[in-house]
Amino acid sequence: MRRRDVAAAVVAAGAAATAGLYRFTDLFVKHYAPTPYDDLLARLTDREEAAKLGAKVPGPFDLTTQTARLRAGFKGRDLATAVNADLAAGHMVEVAGWVLPETVVLLSALAAKV
Amino acid sequence: MSTFLDARALPADTVLEPDLAIIGGGPAGITLALSLAGAKLKVLLLESGGTSFDPRVQHLYAGEESGYVALDVGRLRTLGGGTNHWGGWCRPMDEIDFEAKPWLPYSGWPFTRKVLEPYYPRSQQLVEAGPWIYDQKGAAENAAKGSVLPLGQGGLYTSWFQFSKMRGDVLPTQFGKRYEADLKRAPNVTPLMQANITAIRLSPDARQVERLEGTTLDGNGGAGKRFTVKPRFVVLAAGGMENARLLLASNDVMKTGVGNQNDLVGRFFADNPVPRDVATLVSFAGPLAPFYGSTQTLDDGAIMRATFAPTAAFCRQNQVLGSLSTVEQPVDLDETGKAAVITTALALGVDASNAKAYSLGCGIELAPDPDRRLVLTGDKDALGLPRLKLNMRIADDDFTRYRRTLMELGRQLLASHTGMLRIEKKNRGDWLKEWGHHHLGTTRMHADPKQGVVDADGLVHGIANLYVAGSSVFPSYSASNPTLNLVALTLRLGDHLKKAMT
Repeated sequence: MRRRDVAAAVVAAGAAATAGLYRFTDLFVKHYAPTPYDDLLARLTDREEAAKLGAKVPGPFDLTTQTARLRAGFKGRDLATAVNADLAAGHMVEVAGWVLPETVVLLSALAAKV
Repeated sequence: MSTFLDARALPADTVLEPDLAIIGGGPAGITLALSLAGAKLKVLLLESGGTSFDPRVQHLYAGEESGYVALDVGRLRTLGGGTNHWGGWCRPMDEIDFEAKPWLPYSGWPFTRKVLEPYYPRSQQLVEAGPWIYDQKGAAENAAKGSVLPLGQGGLYTSWFQFSKMRGDVLPTQFGKRYEADLKRAPNVTPLMQANITAIRLSPDARQVERLEGTTLDGNGGAGKRFTVKPRFVVLAAGGMENARLLLASNDVMKTGVGNQNDLVGRFFADNPVPRDVATLVSFAGPLAPFYGSTQTLDDGAIMRATFAPTAAFCRQNQVLGSLSTVEQPVDLDETGKAAVITTALALGVDASNAKAYSLGCGIELAPDPDRRLVLTGDKDALGLPRLKLNMRIADDDFTRYRRTLMELGRQLLASHTGMLRIEKKNRGDWLKEWGHHHLGTTRMHADPKQGVVDADGLVHGIANLYVAGSSVFPSYSASNPTLNLVALTLRLGDHLKKAMT
């Protein structure tokens, strides 16, 4: 076997191992079990931090009602647009004293719940 | 140049007959005396204390209170009064502070801010707060030190305090010391120290003041030499508590007290709560400009500091009162705080990797409340004057209103992508720990005698020659510190008296 082929094989094996670690472990990125709400949760860049915040949201969180509310709120818009709409409309919620847009609070509560 | 007289050196039973007697040598009394310097009037300025602190004199202030600080704390019975320990914070009241608000009972002044505006320049000089900058030019004058936080459209804006001149580590302008020489130079002004007025005696028809009864403290702390003052006119300028006390205690002709025919004297007491750590403000972009967290001295000598104030439109629309929220010091965020910042900044698409957090303090305006009240007790001081009891109470609405303002600041910070806010205070008791020691409202001003003790000129309703000066006449209060404003109001009274007395 030529030296170039060996090198290529090593690189390919390394790439495959890295892809495997990325896909099947939490070494590079946290993996979550699939949920019916992944279309919503995918909007969170850092789901772990959101879950920490969401754990402080007071009161019961009814998944069916609140996820329906979130989906209706997005209406095809991205997260930043939905959040800015909350801010313009004054849809604010206080969580552990923090004054937050309602969409951020609902998404964070969802992240903490599932 | 004359010297100050000492009442203890007067011959026994002296009768003094000035044109005008001013009771109290604090900022209002001194301002009024200075404004009348050179007028063709003999002015007698009566100060209970001397030029330095005396604990026996100070003890005359002692009283009872519930839910407040001891009544002999936060005021000083010495020439210069409260300016001997003030912090020098100055800010003119806003136009909305003078408005009668349909949703707020007892609110509103009998005139607009425009009436006071001609007196602000001189007031600014007297408190030595430098050139008039405030909100008109605050951002521009401080531009070299940094940018104001962009808050965009919303209910709050960056407003500005100015400060009385500092002298190294010496406190700001102390009226007694600063204007001692000016008072001595005024040929028509006689400052009389150690002169305690213990009664205002009315004519039998209760239409005018006939005389004032005065007493000194003797060496044993009891009543000493007595004297009488028979002035043509009297201005009571003894502070927000003592003004009410002296009127209530002078009850030989008017049985409920002078000017108290409608049971208003002593009611409507107010102060500005000044709680610390009311909120945590996060700036996404990193450190705030230095003028938010501390005073900055400009090239022209002005000392300034930024604050967050609600706009008049926000106050009207949301039924909130005045508040001034200031940045205090950097703080660290807990895990929830970090999660809130990361999650929200990511949602907004904002880089918060350099975010910096600060605690906020504030000064709050209270709603007028007739049952927040000073009354006389059966206990008497060394001169025989009944002591005061303060029934202090704060409505939950006062805090609810300020929370609405903080919520709006939080919304605005996010909407402008500049930062975010956490409200720290949860319990009622958290808000009531610190006070501005601004004693307001106990002889409130109103055109209608049934709603005010004094009229729009400061004249006690029904008494032809008795006026009240100082923040006790404020019918509603503002969040701005009172000294600059009460000095302006007193200068206006000075102009009025020049016309009324000559």
